[in-house]
Amino acid sequence: MPQWLVNRWTIVPLLFSALVLAWNGYVAINDGGLIEGRVVDGIGRPVPDATVILFDRSFVMHNERQRSRTDEAGRFRFTGNDNHSLQLEAQTAGLGRSERREVRLWFRAQNVTLADPLRFTGRLP
Amino acid sequence: MTTMRRRGTYLRHAALVGVSAIMLVPFYWVLKTAVTNENIYAYPPRLLPERPHLFNFVDVWYFIPFPRYLLNSVIVSAIVVACNIAFNAMAGYALTKNFPGKRAVLLLFLSCMLIPFQATIIPAYLITSKLGLLNSYVGLAFPLLSTIVCIFVFKAAFEAVPHSLVDAARIDGLSEWRIIVRVLMPLSKAAIATNVVLAFIWSWNAFLWPLIITREPTMQTLPLGLARFLSYLEDTTGALYAFAVMVLAPSIFVFLMAQREFIRGLTSGATKG
Amino acid sequence: MMPATGEAAGRQDGWWQRKRTRDLALIACFLLPSLTVFFLYRVLPLGWNVLLSVQYWSPLKPARWAGLDHYEEMLLYDDVFWQSLTNTLIFIGAAPFAIALALGIALLVNSDLKGAAVYRSILFLSYPLMTVAVGIIWRWMYDERGGIINFALRESGLITKPIPFLQSFDWALPSVIVAEVWQVLGFYMIIILTGLQSIPQHLYEAASIDGAPRRAQFWRITLPMLKPSLFLCAVVGILNSFTSFDLVYIMTNGGPGHATELLITYIYKSGFGQTKFDYAAALTVVQFILLLALTYLANRAAGGNAGSLEHR
Repeated sequence: MPQWLVNRWTIVPLLFSALVLAWNGYVAINDGGLIEGRVVDGIGRPVPDATVILFDRSFVMHNERQRSRTDEAGRFRFTGNDNHSLQLEAQTAGLGRSERREVRLWFRAQNVTLADPLRFTGRLP
Repeated sequence: MTTMRRRGTYLRHAALVGVSAIMLVPFYWVLKTAVTNENIYAYPPRLLPERPHLFNFVDVWYFIPFPRYLLNSVIVSAIVVACNIAFNAMAGYALTKNFPGKRAVLLLFLSCMLIPFQATIIPAYLITSKLGLLNSYVGLAFPLLSTIVCIFVFKAAFEAVPHSLVDAARIDGLSEWRIIVRVLMPLSKAAIATNVVLAFIWSWNAFLWPLIITREPTMQTLPLGLARFLSYLEDTTGALYAFAVMVLAPSIFVFLMAQREFIRGLTSGATKG
Repeated sequence: MMPATGEAAGRQDGWWQRKRTRDLALIACFLLPSLTVFFLYRVLPLGWNVLLSVQYWSPLKPARWAGLDHYEEMLLYDDVFWQSLTNTLIFIGAAPFAIALALGIALLVNSDLKGAAVYRSILFLSYPLMTVAVGIIWRWMYDERGGIINFALRESGLITKPIPFLQSFDWALPSVIVAEVWQVLGFYMIIILTGLQSIPQHLYEAASIDGAPRRAQFWRITLPMLKPSLFLCAVVGILNSFTSFDLVYIMTNGGPGHATELLITYIYKSGFGQTKFDYAAALTVVQFILLLALTYLANRAAGGNAGSLEHR
């Protein structure tokens, strides 16, 4: 092993560059701007045809950006998100407003599927 | 006898651990604030963050904008380090020779060490402005392009190289410049490392000079970005402290990598003037 | 004729002269970049400062002779100048205590303790940090609501209400000084450690054989041999009162009123805040004279030519 290869002045920058490249690669693959999730009511039943609002953050405030509707299984999806700090809220005529869920991403336009569904406090009839 | 010595050792360890803990408290506190999720101004402050998260760092990255300041700092530091190595090696080599006026030059260098940077800011600003280098990378780097401590570090390193090697190279017909690059520098790796570390740290941390020189926010370096961020956005999250952590990380990293060189550079000369 | 083997020949006028001048020219070229930087940014500014300080100068108007008007205004009418001078001197006055503390720590670390290198690293860690960040950290630690210092003081029962450290006239300057000492302590320690490790052991052994107690060994051997290191620390301590611009700017920006105004911050504000370049230049001249005077005094106290500015 040549001496110049094994010392910290080469290994550390190389490692660092490798990490940066790997991270950028991961970001490039996953930055489609896709947000997916489900909406359920107070006891866990999916809420079809609810309006879901996407807010994104501009320095101090969150502004409404997009709206979408859930399908029969209560799922929704947004595309074209380019922010890293979002809020989601669902509304429906019967149940009013759901919680406002804060979603923070690791990089802008990260694809994310909500693990925990958006909940309403009431129950569907 | 041995029990007394062991007690003495325990006491020493205890004292050192105490002092070390005091020295480390600020690091812990800022780290804890940077990852807190709750209102950081609430009293009493919690010693451990409740639900720590790393998203403050993401916010800092996009909103400051961190990459721009980082780029500026990196470019200025790169210029300073490269020029430092070149200029200081040249001057150090010149000082190993004997020439008429050498004492005067040495005296000049030593007396320049006594002139702190802060005693020159007003005219330095005027000079840079006359050179048309305000608000430019070169202008930011200029005062730091050469430091006397590092010149003497190189001088000592070059003088430690055995004469026979230099003479052999000269007989082989190498020019002076080639002698430096091919013979002296590879044998002065420690001096180069010291130079790199010192120049990097001084240029990375420089605040007053960029404050005076930059005219637009896009040309500001990291310390300026940090100071500017302080003046607005006194919000209740730890974003400002996440910024501080991100700014400190490179310095700590470089320090841990290059402790010996840094210390050697500092103790082999006086301070940075 | 002379053999062309390159041996040390006599006066080969034409050829020798040219090589010698070539050598000199090369040396001059090598020295040129560094000398340019130092000339432009050390020597020339120093002279220009003096020149500016005796002129009425403003960016767009021609300069007029002012004589000692600026100095008169500074010394007789400017309260802020005297305040900042006092603050600077207090700042410098804290240096001996910090150096003594560092001496104690260095003595502790100097023994062949296991893990001495780790302690040394931890204690030195604060020095290479960005002073702006250090200022922000300490500003947060001194905060009335979320700061850990007030929290610790209240929890331990020493005080009942939080102290607004950086907003009070009494506490602001000491607070800034504490932050500065925190950052520079590692540096003092390293310098003193290097000095300690260069004291030859046989001096101590000889003293022990002669029956000298440890305390006498310290005062008679250690301290005198440490004089160059202590002098270096003193110079750094003096310079720190000038370089602490960053800390003061971030933590208090001159303090409540001018309680933490240092000469350097006042120079900055006069020059770049009020654009009174000529007045700021006069202040800089006074500051530089102060620096030289204090360094000279420290040199005398360290016993003459102890300033080992050139390495051994």
